[in-house]
Amino acid sequence: MKDRDIILEVMQAGADRRIERRRFLHFAGASTAAFSLAACGGDDDTPPPIGGTPTPVPTPAPTPAPSSALNDADVLNFALNLEYLEAQFYSFAALGSGLASNLLDGRGTQGQATGGRRVNFTDPLVAQYAREIASDERAHVAFLRSALGSSAVAQPAIDIGTSPNGAFSSAARAAGLVGAGQSFDPYASDENFLLAAYIFEDVGVTAYKGASPLITNKTFLEAAAGILAAEAYHAGLVRTVLYRKGLQTPALIDASEAISNARDSLDGMSDLDQGLRPRSTPFGEGTNIVPTDANAIVYSRSAGQVLNIAYLTAMSTTGGGFFPNGVNGNIRMSAG
Amino acid sequence: MPDDQKIIEVLEAREGRRTSRRDMFRGFAAASAAAGGFVLANKASPAAAQSVSDGDVLNFALNLEYLEAQFYVYAATGAGLPDSLLSGTGTRGQATGGRKVNFTDPAVAAYAREIAADEQAHVAFLRSALGTAAVAQPAIDISATPNGAFSTAARAAGLIGPGQSFDPYASDENFLLGAYIFEDVGVTAYKGASPLISNKTFLEAAAGILAVEAYHASLVRTTLYAKGMQAPSLIDASIAISNARDSLDGSSDLDQGLTTSRTFGGTASNIAPLDENGLAYSRSAGQVLNIVYLNNMAVTGGGFFPNGVNGALRMSAAN
Repeated sequence: MKDRDIILEVMQAGADRRIERRRFLHFAGASTAAFSLAACGGDDDTPPPIGGTPTPVPTPAPTPAPSSALNDADVLNFALNLEYLEAQFYSFAALGSGLASNLLDGRGTQGQATGGRRVNFTDPLVAQYAREIASDERAHVAFLRSALGSSAVAQPAIDIGTSPNGAFSSAARAAGLVGAGQSFDPYASDENFLLAAYIFEDVGVTAYKGASPLITNKTFLEAAAGILAAEAYHAGLVRTVLYRKGLQTPALIDASEAISNARDSLDGMSDLDQGLRPRSTPFGEGTNIVPTDANAIVYSRSAGQVLNIAYLTAMSTTGGGFFPNGVNGNIRMSAG
Repeated sequence: MPDDQKIIEVLEAREGRRTSRRDMFRGFAAASAAAGGFVLANKASPAAAQSVSDGDVLNFALNLEYLEAQFYVYAATGAGLPDSLLSGTGTRGQATGGRKVNFTDPAVAAYAREIAADEQAHVAFLRSALGTAAVAQPAIDISATPNGAFSTAARAAGLIGPGQSFDPYASDENFLLGAYIFEDVGVTAYKGASPLISNKTFLEAAAGILAVEAYHASLVRTTLYAKGMQAPSLIDASIAISNARDSLDGSSDLDQGLTTSRTFGGTASNIAPLDENGLAYSRSAGQVLNIVYLNNMAVTGGGFFPNGVNGALRMSAAN
């Protein structure tokens, strides 16, 4: 509870700092060498219409060259790293223990998930949601490991702890939710748990969407679309519940905006993220449960951009944040 | 309000009849197997699937987006899509019977406006991607009459009796149940279509719409589930609708209501309807049409699309 109070108090004071930090991170990002795996063209890259209104072009837009160097296993292993992180977080939050050891081995260096613990939920519905998501994420780990067989990567070292220097606290600090030396404890309350879940969920959606054109095998593609949908259901659940609670506790809405802005400051110049503040629609003010572009399509992130967020850095590196030693597999460097 | 009341009252009594209705649909499916033959984009016929173009798939999706957009835009505003978004190839029809919901919960009203805006944007986006190949809006029935599609769907789910009507515009709860009828279906439709799209840019865009439909579905399910804590008949209704959908689209179980399960040492919700691998289900175009035509046989219209959808993918599956 103490941590939550800290968050609520610090919110206002952090708002201005956030903008400065964002500018700084953009600057820092811009000054490093560009190396982006799986860089995608983005949503502006819509091909000419199929029917050819201005210019009839039958089947346009070949896949960009860099992506062809990746195989399906690389992409699925990248996803597996993210699923390890999500599954451990939710499993500890719901149950107080992590994934079974038979779900952790594989290629690369196996690490521990450290710092997780059980949330003492107040709202029984939030506890139900935590158990549902924990169960889904564990199933995703098992499914991807099974699809990858002996190619599956091991779980890398994962930091889901609450120390002031841990990943959650660093993320919350980057969002201006906690000050220097303070910690953010995602296990301290229903609200903190939901905010921590919020840190992950939309990112998973953009990651799977960004990866979708890289998967060549149709069966894997359809399976990945099924996981994408599951992540979007989870994200929709977390956002709806936070929004609902935010009607009584507006600081939760502000916190969602702050986290989205912090993610945006890490993953490059384009705006790929939206918090829970209501938005104008052609029909009057509406909620913003679904973060989308002007075409009502969710955003894409490249693997490098996803790693910017997971590593909590705007620069090109191979570890940090939630993955202190980096992820396992061939896709492991964040975008610069 | 009377309709809302009716549903909630009738629910308990219908529990048993639902099962027999489901079996009846399955019986029809077996009897009509001979009529079948041509099932587009069905898992069982990969050869047929390969002959479907990206334009066919996107136009199929456009038909569904017309339906969703008209329902939500009417519910949120009392008017339909602008005329400029309705033209195209095939026979253009009207969306009939929609009206504004007099929302009680301001959050539900705000959800309706958000979803309406998203669905209208999907229509505009798909029309723009398809250019002159875009199909026109077909005739759409979103009315509240006893013979209308919503009432037929609610009757198939056992929510109302013969001659009664289900009015999705009568209350917040009815609106949410009306939305529930569509949302998960959109998710399974886009997922089922994903391997059929060859152009990578369109594939990524379709993945983006898939995600939006899943967010919408989650919003609707989460809200219904939370309201269902006070009004358990809403939970029962969600299960009944899912079962009715399942009875239309073939023998495999592709649908889940707002059930609960035991896992991780306690009760878990079921906001996300997923298989044992944690994946959303797929439906073929034919299976999706079974649901929107409200018919488990191979037909080219009915239900929410009285004259069928426009475009090459227009026949429901023979189940």
